[in-house]
Amino acid sequence: MPITPAIDIRDLRVDYGNFVAVNDLTLSVPPGEVFGLVGPNGAGKTSTFRVLTTLMEPTYGEVNLCGVDILSDIESARRIVGYMPDLAPVPSDLKVWEFLEFHAAAYAIGSRAARRDRVAECLEEVGLTGQRESWCKALSRGQTQRVVLAKTLLHRPSVLILDEPASGLDPLARRDLRQALRKLAATGATVFVSSHILSELAEMCTSLCVMNRGKLLASGTAEQVREQMGSHKRTLTVTVLAHHQEAATWLETQASVHRLQLAEQQVSFEFTGNDEAQADLMEGLIQQGIRLRAFEEKRSSFEDILIEVAETNRRS
Amino acid sequence: MNPPPLPTSDSIRGWANPVFRRYCRSRLRPAGLGIALLIALLIAGFIFALTASLGSRFNNLDPADAARGAIIPLLVLQALILFILGTAQVSGGMTAETDEGVIDYQRLIPMPPLAKVLGYLFGLPVREYAMVLVTLPFSAWSLWKGHVSFQIWAPLYAVFFTTAITYHMTGLVTGTVVKNRRWAFLISIGLVFCLYTVIPQIARFGLVFFKYLTITPVFEESLPGLLPKTAGAIVATGQRLAPEVKFFGLAFPEVVFTIFCQGGLILIFLVMLCRRWRRTESLLLGKLGATSFFIWVQMLLLGNALPLIEPGNLFPSREFARRVFDAGNWAPTAVEAVGMSGLYGVVTLIFLFIITKIITPAPEIQIRGWRRVRKEGGSSLPLLSDAATAFPWIAVMALAGAVGWFVFTQALVESRWFPGHLVPLSVFGFFALTLLSAGLGFHALLEAKGGRTVGLTVIFIGIVPLMIGAVMGTSDNRLFAASSWIIGISPLSMPSYATSTLLSLSELPENLARSVPRAFYFWLAVSAIVTVWLVLRLRAARKTIAERSDR
Repeated sequence: MPITPAIDIRDLRVDYGNFVAVNDLTLSVPPGEVFGLVGPNGAGKTSTFRVLTTLMEPTYGEVNLCGVDILSDIESARRIVGYMPDLAPVPSDLKVWEFLEFHAAAYAIGSRAARRDRVAECLEEVGLTGQRESWCKALSRGQTQRVVLAKTLLHRPSVLILDEPASGLDPLARRDLRQALRKLAATGATVFVSSHILSELAEMCTSLCVMNRGKLLASGTAEQVREQMGSHKRTLTVTVLAHHQEAATWLETQASVHRLQLAEQQVSFEFTGNDEAQADLMEGLIQQGIRLRAFEEKRSSFEDILIEVAETNRRS
Repeated sequence: MNPPPLPTSDSIRGWANPVFRRYCRSRLRPAGLGIALLIALLIAGFIFALTASLGSRFNNLDPADAARGAIIPLLVLQALILFILGTAQVSGGMTAETDEGVIDYQRLIPMPPLAKVLGYLFGLPVREYAMVLVTLPFSAWSLWKGHVSFQIWAPLYAVFFTTAITYHMTGLVTGTVVKNRRWAFLISIGLVFCLYTVIPQIARFGLVFFKYLTITPVFEESLPGLLPKTAGAIVATGQRLAPEVKFFGLAFPEVVFTIFCQGGLILIFLVMLCRRWRRTESLLLGKLGATSFFIWVQMLLLGNALPLIEPGNLFPSREFARRVFDAGNWAPTAVEAVGMSGLYGVVTLIFLFIITKIITPAPEIQIRGWRRVRKEGGSSLPLLSDAATAFPWIAVMALAGAVGWFVFTQALVESRWFPGHLVPLSVFGFFALTLLSAGLGFHALLEAKGGRTVGLTVIFIGIVPLMIGAVMGTSDNRLFAASSWIIGISPLSMPSYATSTLLSLSELPENLARSVPRAFYFWLAVSAIVTVWLVLRLRAARKTIAERSDR
């Protein structure tokens, strides 16, 4: 029996006048994933999130959350989803527990005692038990983020949508957030998260996708995304004992070697071949009688990929 | 993972409504509430004590009459708290939710839109309700000691409550539409102020329906029973001459009709708010809802006005005559009838503009609609969708307005007061042309060019000519004719010009007798030509939008 995807988006399009924010996006996320959404500013991340959370009607497209069509059954979809927006706001006239109790009641969480327990549980989960009686407006940025995360977790949503959840959090809180998200995913919830701290996203997510100008560029595991984004390109640095000029001359004849640079006993170059070709290259150098002292490989990071995407955007 | 069950309708009504409870928490905190209650108590106590002491000591009233003296001042205080403070709180509170950004959380709550609206409606002004509540014992004591019967105070307080709800709904709609907190506050207060100052004046000139949006008619009806007996008897004698509420051939008690009118308005506001809570991008009213609302208001205007023509109670001079001299020889003037017909046309036109603004889709809504339709394999926008043009609906409303205007005018002119005068059917044609050209022109401009262009057009074509013409006309008698030509540019003057020109009982002064009809026919022709041109431009603009949506 096929598993119903937690998030199933087909041909999603969002327009703001003439500007196309999301352009025919098709995406499927299985249950229990921590799925990351990466992209430069204006990529269409927030628009996608707003459609998924029923806050915005798309121009067209189909969106199903755990099999519920969010365009025709908004209220059921709202039971399934938990949303934490970027720079999450809190009301200025409520205390932390009142804010959470209000949402617990709105999501019809059991009796008063059950709501109180659930509020306490969520506060503990985000490490804010001590702030129960504080005014929301008196919290720091990081604490505010955590209160809103607690609010998002209250009704145990099947799909959690978190827009930049780590912004404003200190390193310790970020670690806690990572753990909390993994714990949630382990219970079967699906987490759809966006972040600008890409290395962190790669660490946090089981899979991710990259968007640019409303289009999906790549999706899969971090490694697959790198591959799809053309990031098999790597920089290799060979340190030799002697004859570095000969080494450079031989390397220049290789098709997959580009932008060769020479320094003292070191030859650096961009290599576009795969892992096997890389092994052949090393073997070839040795066969040329060149004695290798060290061999260093540097692959493009997510940041590099996105900077490249953003630069391309800027140029065009 | 099993999400909790969807809140049922029962669990979100009344005290259990989470939105209502949320505001009870924040607005009924002892510190803030204590001061508010103290102020309300002090003022109510002061009014109560002062009127009681004044009544018994200086006016030698008996205890019952002295107690009655406090009822009306207390009612005014309660109205100020609930109508003014409450409405401001509702609109300001709603805008604050948007301002702070927490409105999205509320949108996401899986509660039916109606429950959310009710939560806000009673939650946001909950402190003001509490303030009124503490003044009620003073009122209750005065009513009891003053021997005011249940039949008098119960309808009054029922309408007091429905009026508060009507104004709070106005505040909610304002707070939902207006983005700026200060503007929302000012607009809602301004609307309530208008309802008690401007609107009653319109009601005096034949559009009786508008006064039922206030507490005034029921208050006036209850007045004899609330005042000290002597004063009450005088008012009661006056009221015996006053018209009763008639709606076409039916007669209603004031309280029933007021609740009926306010109920209709509350229903429309509910529809608007629920649409917005369901989808933020939705227009406030759908095409069918807006057209029905327009026709409903026309029915109310006519239903109230027509039965008052034959007895003469519709004419403002009747009221004046009653107050100033013996009304026995009174008869309405032709100018009065022409003016009332013109005012009916102007109010209908303004109402048509307002509804047009509500249902006309912005270009981005049209583009989205087209793309959706194309994706689904369609070739035209569904007639009732927000993205579809409002053109046919506005034409229907303009025609309905023209029918109402014509029926009203015919009933006035062909009444027993103006024997020998008839309104030919051709007048309907001109009325229809006046409303169609202004309404469709406004719509075409709005849909093709957007709100900014319309705003400038309203200022420079709608208002400035009226100002210039008025200044010219009052500065020199020789400029009367020229000023009438300039005033005629404004579509707002068209209904008055139409009635002055087309009605046989119209008695224009000599210096306007030639210029006004000429200006009317000329500007009507110009307006019709411009509207046809604008409509053609609109068709082209819509075609461009449809083509652009392919990209």
